[in-house]
Amino acid sequence: MQVFKAMLKVMRKRFPSALVYIIVFITVSVMVTKASTKDNKFEASTLDICVFDEDDTPESRALVEFLGKSNDIAEIKNDRKAITDALYYKRINYALVINGGYAEKLKAGETADLFGSYHLDESFSTVYISQFLDEYVSSVNAYLTMGRSADEAIAATEEALSQETQVDMLRVDKAGNSHFSVDFSGYFRYMPYILISVILSVVCLALITMNKKDIRYRTNCSALKNSSYTFQMFFGSFLFVFCIWLILIIIGAFLNEEMYTGRAWLAVLNSFIFSMVIAALAVLISSFEPKDNIMSLITQITGLGMSFFCGVFIPMEMLSSGVKSFARFLPAYWYVRANDMIAEIEPYSLNDVLQCYLIQLLFAAALIFVTLLVRRLRYSSASIGSAVKKAAANS
Amino acid sequence: MFLHILKYELKNGLRTKDLIIWLILFPIGLGICFKVAFGGIYDKTEKFSTIPVAVVEESDNAAFRQVLDNITSADDPFLKVTYADRAAAEKLLDEGEVEGIIFSGDKLSLTVKEKGLPETMLKSFVEQYTVKEKIVTDAISTSPEKAQEVITALTENTASSCKEIPLTQGNPDVYIQYFYNLIAMVAMFGCNTGMHITIQNQANLSALGARNNCSPAHKSVSILAGLAGSFIMETFCMILCVSFLAFVLKVDFGERLWLVYPAAIMGGMLGVSFGFFVGSLTRVGEKAKVALMTAVSMLMCFCSGLMLANMKAIIEDKLPWFNRINPAAVISDSFYCLNIDEGYERFISKLLTMAAITAVFVFLGFISSRRKKYASI
Amino acid sequence: MEKTVVSIKELVKRYGDLIALDHFSLDIYEGEVFGLLGPNGSGKTTTINCLLSLLAFDKGDIEIFGKKMTPVSYDIKKEIGVIMQNVAVFDELTVYENIDYFCGLYITDKNKRSQYVEEAIKFVGLEDFRKFYPKKLSGGLLRRLNIACGIAHKPKLIILDEPTVAVDPQSRNRILEGIQELNRNGATVIYTSHYMEEVEQICTRIAIMDKGKKVAEGTKDELKRMIKNTETITIEILELPDRIKAEISSLPHIYDAQYAEGRLTVSCSGGKHNLIRVLDVLQKNELSFGRVYTELPTLNDVFLEITGKALRDKEE
Repeated sequence: MQVFKAMLKVMRKRFPSALVYIIVFITVSVMVTKASTKDNKFEASTLDICVFDEDDTPESRALVEFLGKSNDIAEIKNDRKAITDALYYKRINYALVINGGYAEKLKAGETADLFGSYHLDESFSTVYISQFLDEYVSSVNAYLTMGRSADEAIAATEEALSQETQVDMLRVDKAGNSHFSVDFSGYFRYMPYILISVILSVVCLALITMNKKDIRYRTNCSALKNSSYTFQMFFGSFLFVFCIWLILIIIGAFLNEEMYTGRAWLAVLNSFIFSMVIAALAVLISSFEPKDNIMSLITQITGLGMSFFCGVFIPMEMLSSGVKSFARFLPAYWYVRANDMIAEIEPYSLNDVLQCYLIQLLFAAALIFVTLLVRRLRYSSASIGSAVKKAAANS
Repeated sequence: MFLHILKYELKNGLRTKDLIIWLILFPIGLGICFKVAFGGIYDKTEKFSTIPVAVVEESDNAAFRQVLDNITSADDPFLKVTYADRAAAEKLLDEGEVEGIIFSGDKLSLTVKEKGLPETMLKSFVEQYTVKEKIVTDAISTSPEKAQEVITALTENTASSCKEIPLTQGNPDVYIQYFYNLIAMVAMFGCNTGMHITIQNQANLSALGARNNCSPAHKSVSILAGLAGSFIMETFCMILCVSFLAFVLKVDFGERLWLVYPAAIMGGMLGVSFGFFVGSLTRVGEKAKVALMTAVSMLMCFCSGLMLANMKAIIEDKLPWFNRINPAAVISDSFYCLNIDEGYERFISKLLTMAAITAVFVFLGFISSRRKKYASI
Repeated sequence: MEKTVVSIKELVKRYGDLIALDHFSLDIYEGEVFGLLGPNGSGKTTTINCLLSLLAFDKGDIEIFGKKMTPVSYDIKKEIGVIMQNVAVFDELTVYENIDYFCGLYITDKNKRSQYVEEAIKFVGLEDFRKFYPKKLSGGLLRRLNIACGIAHKPKLIILDEPTVAVDPQSRNRILEGIQELNRNGATVIYTSHYMEEVEQICTRIAIMDKGKKVAEGTKDELKRMIKNTETITIEILELPDRIKAEISSLPHIYDAQYAEGRLTVSCSGGKHNLIRVLDVLQKNELSFGRVYTELPTLNDVFLEITGKALRDKEE
């Protein structure tokens, strides 16, 4: 186990740099997890709205008050730049202007040009509030048509619009209490990016040191069997990856504020399998002996690329079908799929989850196979011979 | 002397193929990746597609059925309705065949499984119906003679009551932010060129550094020449990167594309000076420096929304000052301002912020790498 | 005596608990080829690095050309050429460009510089490799490039720190001749090495270091006089009875006689006609002998005797 031991020593030496990555990525994942709990809420959350009431009539004030019931009214200086800033930095979601003559027009049954809204970009809140205003106006109109007074019409409209539609979340429990909330699945969802970045940057650094030409030639000259060498290298990488994975899982348990139970274990297993796939990928990449900065390039491309293509950063449903069918050839796709199923973002089926596991394992096997092939081709004595000849021809 | 070092700095830099790959191929690769991944998103989120929904009729509700029939018989229906009993509907929902179940009884209620766009649409559909139903009921009960008029008023397509006052002539696509952040990331990666200046000039980091230290060239001059060389290289890379995004990938930077270039170049200089600063830190090994630099610049890019677009908004909420000084955020904001703002004040203030941060990094780097002896080589 | 070029006084340098230089003093005069000898880890490179103000030291004074050396002594640095142990050239620049770059740090006048660069190229014999990148050069050529980068600006003081490590004999000879030529043209040379033959061949004065201290200093002959051995006589004899060996040992001026594998080695210290007296003893006892050698002490003997024969295995 000499190779293995040496490798651990090299990795220990590389550990401080690894630590920098680990700390940064853990910070990222904590932020992501915290962010995603806020982000996924389906219930129409309260929006921050600022209103510039240029009409200033009882009718307009009634509207402002009604808006304030389900939203927060923010005070912003009536200044184009200030509004742009506030919208841009999302301090407010919507900037509404109630145009002068609002009350008159409303009473007259006119609907056009009652309001203005400062428009920065197309967002959900813009559409939502605009729809709400349309509905408000047409409802008031309808009551006015019924012959009611303006006050009555507004009151009735408020009543009508205040009706709550009951929305239930379906939770069909198949594996007992699943104990894997949609919110917490975010932590596992972003894990591929962290795993890819940390593992590739650390394991490859260590492996490239081991694979350095001079050291490799020397190892090749020794009595150690090539297969044993490769095996020890895989073993060392997997062990290191296991440690990284363990750290992430333990931190996950702290973030979750409880030990994993029930279905959460499936997610844990899923992440373990994915780590192994990445470990195999790291061994393969390092077989090509990239230089240090090329290595960071590969790490970033793999990490960011896979994450964007496979729905780590953007929900999969948002991706076009072309991207999705391409993503099938990437292991992270199957990881995310399994994770979505476990979190019941997609319909849960144990068989399908197992299938995703299996496909990831196949990726790992394929990567190992390719690695062996590459090592055989690149490092065989024949290629050393030709390398020597090449060097001789050059000098 | 300055020109002499600069000349060789550039020669050396242009022949360092790794760096070229870093700074040129990387944004091209990632840009294509973004383009492919986001290409369809804007359409996908903006356009309605048909939402499959199950309807469970708990009691007879002819009016609702009538509405549903009207919708489904339209040319481009936004709902695909399946009538089912409760158990069957739940099974459909569980298997993902439908997005939600509408229980139509005396009151409508909705059951969904996920939190997403289709569900929100279903909810607002149900709410609108409920409101209209209430109005019609009120109309029938209070003034039945006007009922027909009311219904017509409710169903006719009225002009939108709200007129948008555009604050910008720019590109409203929010996903363009990813490209801003991509440029910011490329700019931050300029730190790789910045770092090698210090490595080449510090005797304890390389043999070359030792030799350069023995020469009579003033250290400040050779550092300045190195910085200038890196700035020029980075400028070249940024121009290439922006041009590629703007002309090959056809990313829309708004009306003032020519101003995107100076902003990107300024960002690139910021990146170089950041690398120069990290490189000049004493007591940190070279590998650790690279790791620190890469990790910190990735963290900056993350906080600026490279991975998650709403990260910046979250930080704006919690730590607004960080967005003002996070180099990656400042760089990507400058493009945003250019796209969104009509005036130039904010854009200029972002440029000034970049210049200030650059100056601080260069200054600190100079302080810690000024002519000195080393404890060990 | 001539002008002092380098003066090191009571230099102390510690790396933590390890004392790398222990009150080390040295004077080097104009026109010398000064050899700094010492086993691995004796402090040669540390001395050089302190001399160049690259390394901070704990105590002591260093003067070059009569002025105190500091990191900003640019006027002093202008006159120094340095060739470090490690090859320090840009991989991305060609042979010509590398020399031009480093020469340009010293000499701003373009015409003069291009003339100097050409001379340096000729000097190290890299005429055919002007456009080569360092990676394509063999070990010896790379060392020569390394030297050319250090001396192209015609410095008055040249410091060479083991410039011939891993170089074949042809390249080495060329390098050594080159150094002598530079010296003839007026440069003072400081040369560190642990190859005795090299130092013996080119150096006019030598200091031997060990464990951060100067243990001996002088010309070759002065050093050789410092040791007991003045002559070593080797005689091939088929067999030698102990009695006769004892008799030889007891001869005056002979302090050691060893017999092994048919070879008698006699170490002498002073005196004349030692060889004749040894041969007399053999003849008297009717012992036939084969070839006879006599050698004067080499620097190697000096080195080994002064620094002890124990194997050194410290890091340099």
